Amino acid sequence: MAAIEFKNVTKKFGNHVVIENINLKIKDGSFTVLVGPSGCGKTTLLRMIAGIGPQTSGQVLIDGNDVTEIAPGKRGVAMVFQNYAIYPTMNVRDNIEFGLKNNKIPKEERDILVKEASEKVGLEEYLDRKPSTLSGGQRQRVALARAMVKKPSVFLMDEPLSNLDAKLRVQMRVELIELHKKLQTTFVYVTHDQVEAMSMADTVILMNNGFIQQIAAPEEIYRNPANLFTARFIGSPAMNIVELNDGIRLGFRPERGILSDEADPKADFSVEGQVVTREMLGRETTYSVRDPQGRTYMVTGLDDPYKVDDKVYLNVSLKHIYFFGKDEQRIYEEDAQQYQACLEALRRGL
Amino acid sequence: MKNVKDRFWEKIGPYLLVAPAMTGIALFVIYPIIKLISMSFYKVNQLNPDKTKFVGFSNYQKMFKTAEFQKALVNTGYYALFMILIVLGCSLILAVWLGSKKSRVNSAAQASAFLPHIISMVSVGLIFQQMMDPDYGIFNALLGAMGLQKSQFLRSSDSAMNSVIFTSAWKSIGYYTLILIAALQSIPESIYEAADLDNAGSVRTFFKITLPMISPQIFFVLIVMTIGNFKVFETIRVMTSGGPNNATTSLVYYIYNKVFMDFDVGRAAAGGVILLIIVGIMTVLYFVSLSKKVHYQ
Amino acid sequence: MYKLSQKVWAVAGTILKAILIFVFVFPFLWMVSVSLQTDMEISSSPITLIPAVPQWINFAAAWSKGPFLLYLKNSLTIIVSVIAMQMVIMVPAAYAFAKCDFKGKNLMFGLVLIAFMTPGQITFLPIYQMMSEWEVMDTLLPQIVPFMTNAFGIFLLRQYFMQVPDELIEAAKLDNAGSLKIVYKLMLPMAKPAMSTVVLFSFVSHWNDYFWPLVMTQTTNVRTLPIGIAMLKNTEGITNWNIIMAGNMILVMPILVVYVFCSKSIIRSFAYSGIK
Repeated sequence: MAAIEFKNVTKKFGNHVVIENINLKIKDGSFTVLVGPSGCGKTTLLRMIAGIGPQTSGQVLIDGNDVTEIAPGKRGVAMVFQNYAIYPTMNVRDNIEFGLKNNKIPKEERDILVKEASEKVGLEEYLDRKPSTLSGGQRQRVALARAMVKKPSVFLMDEPLSNLDAKLRVQMRVELIELHKKLQTTFVYVTHDQVEAMSMADTVILMNNGFIQQIAAPEEIYRNPANLFTARFIGSPAMNIVELNDGIRLGFRPERGILSDEADPKADFSVEGQVVTREMLGRETTYSVRDPQGRTYMVTGLDDPYKVDDKVYLNVSLKHIYFFGKDEQRIYEEDAQQYQACLEALRRGL
Repeated sequence: MKNVKDRFWEKIGPYLLVAPAMTGIALFVIYPIIKLISMSFYKVNQLNPDKTKFVGFSNYQKMFKTAEFQKALVNTGYYALFMILIVLGCSLILAVWLGSKKSRVNSAAQASAFLPHIISMVSVGLIFQQMMDPDYGIFNALLGAMGLQKSQFLRSSDSAMNSVIFTSAWKSIGYYTLILIAALQSIPESIYEAADLDNAGSVRTFFKITLPMISPQIFFVLIVMTIGNFKVFETIRVMTSGGPNNATTSLVYYIYNKVFMDFDVGRAAAGGVILLIIVGIMTVLYFVSLSKKVHYQ
Repeated sequence: MYKLSQKVWAVAGTILKAILIFVFVFPFLWMVSVSLQTDMEISSSPITLIPAVPQWINFAAAWSKGPFLLYLKNSLTIIVSVIAMQMVIMVPAAYAFAKCDFKGKNLMFGLVLIAFMTPGQITFLPIYQMMSEWEVMDTLLPQIVPFMTNAFGIFLLRQYFMQVPDELIEAAKLDNAGSLKIVYKLMLPMAKPAMSTVVLFSFVSHWNDYFWPLVMTQTTNVRTLPIGIAMLKNTEGITNWNIIMAGNMILVMPILVVYVFCSKSIIRSFAYSGIK
């Protein structure tokens, strides 16, 4: 168990600055998911914790100790790699045991630990198999067992589910959540998939271009995005963003838009438009609606009364509308002066 | 303290890993090359090193004037040229012929053609020398049976070099065939299918698709052959000892003789430098082309 | 018609291929035949294709013409030492060139390529002098030490190691494995096919080598098999071909036997080395 802290950390590849002066704390025992588009620096952060891609400057602390000078194998961290990184010439047991052997753990103890770990992931039947004879899901489990067996204080995972098929991915997601509950250690998990982030994390760290956009619990980050990037990145279909005057933008979630045959006079935001596409997804239906100015809105709902080309009105009430300023930061209601300006802009219309 | 040690090993580690290998190269490749070049400018006295004196290019000047060296150089060039022509030609034909389809006969033919490559030149030389014996050899027996004129083979200065080339070519065709077959088989089948659909004839397909696709390997083969042929020695040493009448001396044979017969190390070094230059040019050619990639994909 | 002519071509092709096989195999059969002939048979006219009574005694005769057991021992000692030394030296270097970043890497790898392209016919003279100065000419060292770095092997293994994903090495580092452990416990087992190719090449080239032992040996007790066999011709003159061929069999047979049983994998190894 350990907390992780980044202090003024910068990472350069040659002259290319990937991460600039980041400060970040990851809570002990949390399931923290680093999420963001590819190239945002999330994997770089993870590799700095592991020590396999050390920072250019600044400090990384694990449990309050600066680990900058400590070799990867001695940091008490374990990592599950995207392509599992299973040693192909060793059987499952040797794979799991390799780290223990390197740490000079006596044979009897190793046997117990290997047994324990392999049981936890359901591999006890496969200990003598070569990795090449295992399925993708089984390899994933070997990687997990190999990480677990070292009883690390920090569990690092770099897109561990991205090579699994959709069904298995959902199943593994649940298993990882359970595993975290069981082990109670710090999990740091990297993914580009916001669904994975939302479903597993207790803390989401959203990154873009080497900067942290927001750190929050999943529900918080969804309901209360701190800036335009977060608003757009989290949620699928993405939040609808409409440009008002003076660089002010408003946004609303697709499920908050209500379609009707006539304009709703009580709605704070209302546009007339035409249904362009209709995707029936089973439980819900996604419409895209185009207004006369050519802007397209995504709207989801449980009912699907409209067909393509139907004329509709799209209504949203104020409590579901987010405002963003020129600097792309969120304008909160508490900021009375700016918020008034936003309302003014909304009233003046599009 | 332990942490500082980790960092130190991280930095120094790669150098330790390559150190033994680089020592070997420095000691047995780089140093000898430099030493060879420097020796070629000296009149070396083996018995009394103090009498070794710097003579500039005189070793080269004198060497180029001797009939012995000129003969060796001409022979080597002749040998290399015909080896390349014959071996490249034959192995290309064999590669296309045997490599087009996987069948038992083809792989048997390939395997037997390759066999001489892994047999010692000493053995091959002895066998062919016996077969080429003018009086009791099977070659003349065959020629006689077919009513053709018999040959003196290695015994006559007219035919000795060609006999040596014949033997060397027989030994090495299989290897180059193998390399070219591997190259041919790396061409994706779909390209041929596309050519078929484009109604390209087999000759056209060969010159427009096959040959360009394997050109990097052909080039590789050419360079390897050239270097290999310019250092020809073993065949000659085993089969003719340079004779008859210096008809089969070669550059390396010249160097060998200078060292072990005439004890003229400076002259030998000068001969070595000539070989070095030839190999150097070939190597540079090869790597320049590698970096430019003679590739068509 | 079309079918018929195709059939004719196929038959003609097969016959031609059979002739081709014969052309490459016959000299070895011929060697066997001559090695079993009597003195009379080797100089008979018309020539003897198959000896009337196989003269097995020729082998005993050849064997007694020189210290062949010593030559054989020397050959094997050299091969085993060279291969063992190359393994130890080559694998870490290939790993470093493939997977480590360090200053001067490109320069050093350039030197490896130079070593790869430089034939012994260029370097033998200075090395000969060096060995004389070290006063080791009456040992096997001049035939072993100069081959300590197998540039070709480094090249081949490096290609192989480069395909190993970095993740695997990072995982090993997280498992607290040091460089040498990564090289020998992780990389080496993965490089088995490349390793066997390198070993095969080293074996074949040193077993067959004639030039290097010729220039590096002055006394009988350090000579190798190819030298011994080539010298048979001097001691026997060029009349006793049956004895020479019997001796020659000693040199050819080991490789021939191995080739008969694993020609496929040997061919694959050689083909693999040529494509790059």
